[in-house]
Amino acid sequence: MLRFLLRRFLGAIVIVLLISAITFFLFFALPSEPALMSCGKNCTPDALAVINKNLGLDEPVPVQYWHYMTGIFTGRDFSVGHCPAPCLGYSFSNQQPVWDTIVDRFPTTLSIALGGAVVFLVVGVGIGMIAAAFRGTWIDKFFSSLSLIGNSLQIYFVGVVALAVFVSGLHWFDNPAYYPITEDPVKWFTGMIIPWLVLSIIFIANYSRMTRSQMIEQLAEDHVRTARAKGLGRRTVFFRYAWRGAMTPIVTLFGIDLGSLFGGAIVTEFTFSLHGLGRLAVSSVSETDLPTLMAVMLVACTAIVVANIVVDAAYAVIDPRVRLG
Amino acid sequence: MRRHDRRAPYAVALAAGALVVSACSSGGGGGGGGGDGKSEGPGEDKTVSANYSIGSAADAAGPAPELPGAKKGGTVTVLQRDAFNHLDPGQIYFSDVLTSQMLYNRSLTSYKIDEKGRVKVVGDLATDSGTSSDGGKTWKFTLKDGLKFEDGSPITSKDVRWGIERLYAPFETDGPLYIPQWLNGDGNAFRKALPDGPYQGKHLPSSVLDTPDDKTIVFHFQAPHADTPYATAMPNIGAVKAEKDGQRKYDNAPFSSGPYKVGSYKVGKSLTLVRNEHWDPKTDPIRHQYADRFEIGFGHQFADSTRRFLADQGGDKNALSFSNGVAPEMTEKVLGQQDTKARRLLEVQPYVDYISFNTTRLKDVKVRKALAYAMPNGQILQQNGGASAGVVATNYLSPAMDGYRPTDPYGKKDKPAGDPEKARALLKEAGKEGQEIVYAYANTDVQQKVSVVVTQALERAGFKVQKKEIDSNTWRTSISEVGNKFDIYRTSWGADWPVSSTVVPPLYDGRQIADGAQNYGHLDDPKVNAEIDRITRITDVKQAGAEWQKLADRILTDDVPGVPTFYNRLFSLWGSGLGGVKYHPVYGTVDPTGVFVK
Repeated sequence: MLRFLLRRFLGAIVIVLLISAITFFLFFALPSEPALMSCGKNCTPDALAVINKNLGLDEPVPVQYWHYMTGIFTGRDFSVGHCPAPCLGYSFSNQQPVWDTIVDRFPTTLSIALGGAVVFLVVGVGIGMIAAAFRGTWIDKFFSSLSLIGNSLQIYFVGVVALAVFVSGLHWFDNPAYYPITEDPVKWFTGMIIPWLVLSIIFIANYSRMTRSQMIEQLAEDHVRTARAKGLGRRTVFFRYAWRGAMTPIVTLFGIDLGSLFGGAIVTEFTFSLHGLGRLAVSSVSETDLPTLMAVMLVACTAIVVANIVVDAAYAVIDPRVRLG
Repeated sequence: MRRHDRRAPYAVALAAGALVVSACSSGGGGGGGGGDGKSEGPGEDKTVSANYSIGSAADAAGPAPELPGAKKGGTVTVLQRDAFNHLDPGQIYFSDVLTSQMLYNRSLTSYKIDEKGRVKVVGDLATDSGTSSDGGKTWKFTLKDGLKFEDGSPITSKDVRWGIERLYAPFETDGPLYIPQWLNGDGNAFRKALPDGPYQGKHLPSSVLDTPDDKTIVFHFQAPHADTPYATAMPNIGAVKAEKDGQRKYDNAPFSSGPYKVGSYKVGKSLTLVRNEHWDPKTDPIRHQYADRFEIGFGHQFADSTRRFLADQGGDKNALSFSNGVAPEMTEKVLGQQDTKARRLLEVQPYVDYISFNTTRLKDVKVRKALAYAMPNGQILQQNGGASAGVVATNYLSPAMDGYRPTDPYGKKDKPAGDPEKARALLKEAGKEGQEIVYAYANTDVQQKVSVVVTQALERAGFKVQKKEIDSNTWRTSISEVGNKFDIYRTSWGADWPVSSTVVPPLYDGRQIADGAQNYGHLDDPKVNAEIDRITRITDVKQAGAEWQKLADRILTDDVPGVPTFYNRLFSLWGSGLGGVKYHPVYGTVDPTGVFVK
């Protein structure tokens, strides 16, 4: 297991490095004027030259990339001062090191994504299992229909409706907001309930359908029939034999969905006026704030790669047949 | 030279709305604005010159009059759509930020607005609105006693000098530059006088900017400027403490001279302003310090803020927005909810939308007149949100301008859908029936809808329209190019103060034609240029106001470099727990200086 994780970790480093290089060269080698965007409307050639120099944009792109990557570990000096490690560049739009902004925004996105994932995994898998257990009954049909409806909904629609009904109308919840979990866990939880529920809606349908079909398939397997023949209880057969087998593709799907989860978090952030990496990415695009955009890409990519390692490890735990070599 | 932009929506289903670069406006008392489509303030059908005046030394004396029912304490929540692009007063030009800086920044002069919406330019840091000599070329200001920064240190003329001289530094590129340009030359030429700002120990000579003692500041301009008291009300003509000036970093940590100071600032996310205990109300004729703090949050779309104001629950009872309007789709709901009557306003802003005509390409004035007659102002307004978003425009100047008169040379009041017959007749007279028009517009939801009604109206009048959709991020750059290949395009403008010297010259002076400049119609009429020079020399601002209106009308009837389409409005709502909310006619936003938690 340890060797497997080590191998995956080294592979992850290579992937992150590749993505960082591709992204950096795409952003900084293509014709764009980040300095101009930072320069303001009464920009002068002198001011533009100063910003280009300060941002290191007057150097060849490979050299810029080298400085960028080494700066993550050693820090960098800009005209406005030292950017301590881990330095992900300096944003002339925000007038501060990018890392400070990332640190401020990342917990929001992480809260949305993780909380949403917990909700859709629990609810989606739960519904799928119930539907499989009552296959062909009205319960199955009800949940299958519900999944179909859920699959056709969008965050920006459900979010607005949820706000109008549950926050403004019934006053069941406060306005969604992010509070650091370290400062006030209760507020963190209550502030995130609606975003979690709304974000999870688009995923629940997939997971419930996938779980249902996998469970039905597993329940028809020989080893499950054998377990039943041995006189094991229905619950034991259902959970210990069928469910475990059904989870393998679910975990695989979850690994694939991590990227979509980040995308969903972006829409969720806009819908609920939350400030996470998604909103930061969008505003960085509109402001041509390349250092910030680059950092968001790097952090998001790292997060997804790390999460995939965790998923792979979980996969191995769930299914011993997976050879970790 | 403020612009009134409608920011392109971000990628995620965002409504377009008004982002405004500074402004001026007709007076209008806030609160209780009508929902019947008629502005409660001295709006579109009233002569508003009477609303503007230069205050006396007595007007500049603090404290500001106590507001009935006002109480101290509590937190005011502010819901803003767009993040503030700057906190450094030297860089501030957008109306939302102009509004917020009133809470932590003081300028030499400022606007005192009474309960009827009348505006007086009064001394803020200064004892009065300035005294001029040398035919209006020299202006002297004296600082009040008892002025302090947030650390308790006194504010002196040296700090004001520093505040002005830092505008010469290369990084100060976003704010208004009237005073430096009047002192040392137009465009960016003024920067040569002090290329590094004051940061290398150099200063402007006393023949340009003089501080003979700790209380006195003297400006020696290159030409007379009667509206100097207005220019010194811009946020960057104030005091900056040298030791606290982190140059670029000052943008995130301005040092307060106002009733509040920065408590915490998370760029793009939130700003908290807390009491500045060293602010002395006796020195301030404009601001109060009722609330304990202002919690300003960014990223709230109009629909979100409107929903929260309407629900009026919990902390949202004490919430307002400086510049978020009521979401157009929720207008009826707001008007239909009786309890909003006492907590909403509907006011004309100092921003005008136009369709500019490229006179370089459309050389025949009869064709341009035909376009002006054909333009469906009413329908364009409807696509922008209807009566809550604006009023059909009849001439180039906003009702918010000092000297405005409701002239209507193209009969837009009577025929808001345009006059295709008259347009057709003019085209026939010019021998240009079937004239092809290249119409450029930004690729936004609103402008796409506008393009449909404009195209239909022009085709009814006998034009052939070729539509050119431009990416909203590059739209302004595209139409600002002198060599652009378009015939007509939507533009907008807001005055920097309620005098049309900040409207007519930038928009219609032929000597200001340049890439990126605002003479969008490329009008270069020697008669107009000469008239601009004549009016600029008038030392009585009131008299100049009437002259600017006459000139603007003459340009509209004789040169026609564009047609005004609608005057913008702010339809704003706030929570029931707040008092003292009023309209700021000059910025076109909600004025927070007297807000209190009930």
